[in-house]
Amino acid sequence: MLGLQIIVDGFAISSLYALGAVGFTLIFGVSGVLNLAHGGIMVVAALVGWYCAGELGFGTYLGTLAGVAAGLTLALATYFIVVRPIQRSRAIPSAETEIFVLTGTLLWGIMIEQGMAYLFSDNPVSIRPLIGGVMNVFGVRTPRNEVMIAALCWIVIGFLWLLVNRTRAGKVLLAASINPRGLTLLGFELSRVYVLVWSIYGVLAGIAGVLLASFLGVGSANTGPLTASAFSIVVLGGLGSVSGTLIAAYVVGYLETVTAYLIAPTLRPIPALILLVLVIYIRPQGILGRR
Amino acid sequence: MNMRTALQLPQLARPTIAAMAFAALVMLAPSARAADTGPIKIGVIGEQSAIAGASLTKAAQLAGDEINAAGGLNGRKVEIITYDDHSSAAEAVRAFQRAVHQDHVVAVIGSYISEVALALEPWSARLHMPFITPGAASTDISKHVHDEYEKYKYTFHGWLTSAFIAQSICDFEHDVMVGKFHMKTTVIMSEDAAWTTPLDARYLECLPKAGLQVLDHIRFNPDTTDFTPIFNRIEAKHPDVITTGISHVGVQPTVQWHDQQVPIAMVGQSSQATTSSFWKDTNGATEGVVTATGAAPGVAITPKTLPFTEAYVKRFGVSPAYCGYSSYDDVYVIVDAIKRAGSTDPDKLVAAMEQTNYVGTIGTVKFYGRNDLYTHAIEYGPGLITGVVIQWQDGKQRQIWPENAADAVVKFPAFVKLPRASAK
Amino acid sequence: MRSLSRSRLLWGAILLCAAAAALLPWWLSAYILGILTVAYYFGVFAMAWDLLFGFAGEVNFGPTFLIGLGAYGAAILDANFGQPIVVCVIAGALVALVGGLLLVLPALRLRGPYFGLVTLVAVLLLQNFIVIFAHITGGEIGMTVPDVLSADANANYWYALAFLFVCTVILFGLSRSAVGLILQASGQDAIAAQALGFNVTKHKVAAFCVSAVFSGMAGAMLVFYEGAASVDTVISLSIAVQVIIAAVLGGRRTIIGAVLGSIFLILANEFLRPLGQLNTFVVAAGALAVILFFPDGFLGYALRGRQRE
Repeated sequence: MLGLQIIVDGFAISSLYALGAVGFTLIFGVSGVLNLAHGGIMVVAALVGWYCAGELGFGTYLGTLAGVAAGLTLALATYFIVVRPIQRSRAIPSAETEIFVLTGTLLWGIMIEQGMAYLFSDNPVSIRPLIGGVMNVFGVRTPRNEVMIAALCWIVIGFLWLLVNRTRAGKVLLAASINPRGLTLLGFELSRVYVLVWSIYGVLAGIAGVLLASFLGVGSANTGPLTASAFSIVVLGGLGSVSGTLIAAYVVGYLETVTAYLIAPTLRPIPALILLVLVIYIRPQGILGRR
Repeated sequence: MNMRTALQLPQLARPTIAAMAFAALVMLAPSARAADTGPIKIGVIGEQSAIAGASLTKAAQLAGDEINAAGGLNGRKVEIITYDDHSSAAEAVRAFQRAVHQDHVVAVIGSYISEVALALEPWSARLHMPFITPGAASTDISKHVHDEYEKYKYTFHGWLTSAFIAQSICDFEHDVMVGKFHMKTTVIMSEDAAWTTPLDARYLECLPKAGLQVLDHIRFNPDTTDFTPIFNRIEAKHPDVITTGISHVGVQPTVQWHDQQVPIAMVGQSSQATTSSFWKDTNGATEGVVTATGAAPGVAITPKTLPFTEAYVKRFGVSPAYCGYSSYDDVYVIVDAIKRAGSTDPDKLVAAMEQTNYVGTIGTVKFYGRNDLYTHAIEYGPGLITGVVIQWQDGKQRQIWPENAADAVVKFPAFVKLPRASAK
Repeated sequence: MRSLSRSRLLWGAILLCAAAAALLPWWLSAYILGILTVAYYFGVFAMAWDLLFGFAGEVNFGPTFLIGLGAYGAAILDANFGQPIVVCVIAGALVALVGGLLLVLPALRLRGPYFGLVTLVAVLLLQNFIVIFAHITGGEIGMTVPDVLSADANANYWYALAFLFVCTVILFGLSRSAVGLILQASGQDAIAAQALGFNVTKHKVAAFCVSAVFSGMAGAMLVFYEGAASVDTVISLSIAVQVIIAAVLGGRRTIIGAVLGSIFLILANEFLRPLGQLNTFVVAAGALAVILFFPDGFLGYALRGRQRE
């Protein structure tokens, strides 16, 4: 019984982690940027969604859409205001650009977190579940909302897979992640590719944020931990590898769930962090990484 | 390039920077020291972005404005200076130092978090600054005063200690959960924090005496966001009721309790649930949750309860959290003590505060003396301060205990399983 | 010739500033002295970071891992075993050293962003440990220590100034010494440095050890100034970023620039206090602007401007 409970509970949280981390790894794979403001984008989507759904009275569905739109906007803002100017800056020696981009996104993340805390206070908010009530999954009493969230995550990931593997734009993205220079030689505008990937990322992070708010509740204080778990997963799976990320998300999600149930809820985040450190030391490219 | 130009640029840069820094320092030059005829300044350190902490500073502000509107203290205005400590002990210490050295306050009202109050207590001792906490609960605050009176006498504990909070909840559970609903077992669920250590210790002692066997005792990390494993573990033991001790968290466990339809009632101390905005924050998931608090909306404990609540709601749009009542009272207590002492000298002020016998918004404020165990904590008991117990029903807080002042019948959401068909 | 006279000039300036700073308590209020006290400890944090980044070329995204280890190491020792302050500070420095080595030794051979990531993860691990073992560490909110350096603002100021002065002399001296030159070379072109026969890894580890010891000591001193340690003041990521910004703002690879940057940053924080909650937002925004438009920082701009002539 407990085992089934762990399997069901772990599945939902892992799917949410997967959705959030996939966007993060896409950004790194295609544009080489580790966006440390990742948690901030998810939190903004969640808070805007909550605000529109409740305070402005848009209702849950429209509110959710508003939240995703906010995620998209903020991701693009991150690219145009922070990442691109630093990458193009002539005042920074090229060897240090990566470091400055990291610091820049970290600062941007802090700005987002503080801005949200100012506007909404740091209390967690939750979006009313899209479907209320509970249902029976393999004998485990599970909120219907949780099942729906897991399903939604996979539908979105499925769409992403279709996008990347079946559409032209997607193939350009793949190519950019393998060989940007070659791509420019073929006449593609890299800057357009970057805008595309940041847009996709924004939508993914936005959906993940809104769903998280509906499942567990989100507050501005979650910004840091969300970024941390995303890059733990991404490094574990291999920076730049989408399938690696998906596998790693489930490893981390289940590791956390098992720890919470069988050892102690207090120790929940520890195994994933220790695993991350071990992976970095023993196999830095992660499970399926290539760089 | 010759020597002169080689030396000039660094020479220019450094003095410029030094000048800038000096200018900055001069601009921050201190204001004139407050004379005996200037405003009486009271510092209030709170956690602005916490649901409960925000009430602290607002209520104090309200008290200050009321006192001034009535003419101040012998013609002198009361000035409330607020500080945000961002729920951090070291930041609160910095704010305290600022209040003493920069703003020259005569007293400090501070925090609802025990760890913060405990960090400020030694500084109140070192800087001889009267300090009262309107919301922290740890018994250590007043124990220090008892154990080293001359050193710590400047600290007052303006809220019920954890021991008394636990006792009042035990008394409530005895009257209602056991008396009316015939419950027999409970699980204690509290956050791992300084205030819950004495709370849980008293729970473990008084719950069996109230008629509830304690099946399990869970202390969770205040940073927890996913309470599913905890609720599952509790449910596996099949208790009749969950006895809580939560303050740092509130929205997430409540929402998840509701969404997962955990079939056990939640009763105890939930600081965040004591303010009216909690209904909206949880999207109504708090329906049926029971918590101890200072006062319930609409129920007058003293003639001052309702006027305060109404003035607060009118000005701030939400009802005060439990520490708002005590913070408001504490401003009056300090001003009253200054009046009786005839001075703002710290030692005279402390002596005057010890003699406090003030009817506030939640009862009569009196402090335990030197020979009592909890020196300088507020006295607990009928006619003094006991707190009340409320339950969230249909969007409102309804008082359900003490029973002679109750204005609603206890009822739980449909998913909560009760030992017998619903009692009276 | 130029570098010698420049060096003498800088040393002279350091002595002059220290002397002037020592006289400030007769002019300024206890409150501003308190701000400067914190700024001085912060200056040591930033100098230690600059030594590692500016000289060894390693980005430490989690300077607060070392600072936090020192701070909490000293705090726990004092609160639970009642050792005198000096013992606790030294213990804190040792804890930071050991912790830092455990973390970093395996990581120094990593390429690319991985070293930075490890340091970032280290901060999170420490933060989680603090929160989990809350009954020893006071958790997220913090813990108190029974001893403080002094209750008097002037005395605290002088302690901080003296500490800053000694650290500046040591760290700046190190940066100007032969070892410092080798570090600089390893940082900027490790392959060439190795080709010249220097053991780059050994020197980087040495730099890290120095950085760890000074960060840990300064963290411990800060705790004994405030009488309290909390995650928000010695570990959190926003403090880590402020340390980095202070060093960048002052000028990377100058060591003393880090002190200027810290003083400026802490003063700016105070200036912006009336903004209340938006204060951190504005500081972070300002720091971002510095990175975008002014990445060389004060001293860097002044000194390099001269070099480009």
